[in-house]
Amino acid sequence: MSRDLKLFVVDTGPLITLAVAESLDYLLYVDADVVIPDAVLHEATRDANRLGAQDIIDWVKAHRDHVEIAPTKAYEVFDAARVTMPNLREPDLGERAAVEVIEEPDRLLGNERGLLLCEETAVLKRVVVRDRERIVELSTLDFLRILEAEQRIQSAEQVFELAAKAGRFPSRAEKMSAHDEATRAAIQGLVKRSPPDLER
Amino acid sequence: MNETEKQALEAFSRGEMTALDLRRRLGGATYGEILSLLSEVELPLPRAPVAGREEQIKRARSWMFPKHVP
Repeated sequence: MSRDLKLFVVDTGPLITLAVAESLDYLLYVDADVVIPDAVLHEATRDANRLGAQDIIDWVKAHRDHVEIAPTKAYEVFDAARVTMPNLREPDLGERAAVEVIEEPDRLLGNERGLLLCEETAVLKRVVVRDRERIVELSTLDFLRILEAEQRIQSAEQVFELAAKAGRFPSRAEKMSAHDEATRAAIQGLVKRSPPDLER
Repeated sequence: MNETEKQALEAFSRGEMTALDLRRRLGGATYGEILSLLSEVELPLPRAPVAGREEQIKRARSWMFPKHVP
């Protein structure tokens, strides 16, 4: 993975919307490295019976060459705390992890640029000003409309309509028991952490 | 779903409330749960307004497809 354009998926909205519309592959229609903070993947998949969760895990596993699950301190601390508080929830965990990833000093080097794909607007406000010239925030629909304008997909609106109707078709939501442990293990397997001797 | 929650969903659907605020309002709901609830009450997903962000979107398009942007 080393392209000049990085596509940071900074909240769960784009992943879930695209997953339930069976359109996650659209993220790969751009010549960019896809970066998903570990906490965002966790939030999107923490219960496998949630809309799109199993599709997202399967998709990430199938595209490990193009998709990086970025490790963060925010998720590491949260994950450790869950040992004693299994029902712990932090609604802004994904956002904090995303800010952490984007602000890593070696994230955008040289001519590299970043697209922040999100449904929330809070993330960019928290990114340091020096990076704003090479970071653009896009909503899922913005992203899809650009693909449509480039004739890479037929219809951005169709994806949105499919996603909006997804909850009316329960059969499309995967059912799996013991989901939390399973997804937790899946994320741990997907996160690329530095070997301990390189962290010093 | 109670009336307050439905009103919050309607505000989100109109783009007047962020997903994060809605998730907090619904007791820590996930985005997937929000999608399900929107479907339940047949509300559309919010559309971020393009007005005021044209340059930003144009710039993103030029980065995504540098050879094709006029």
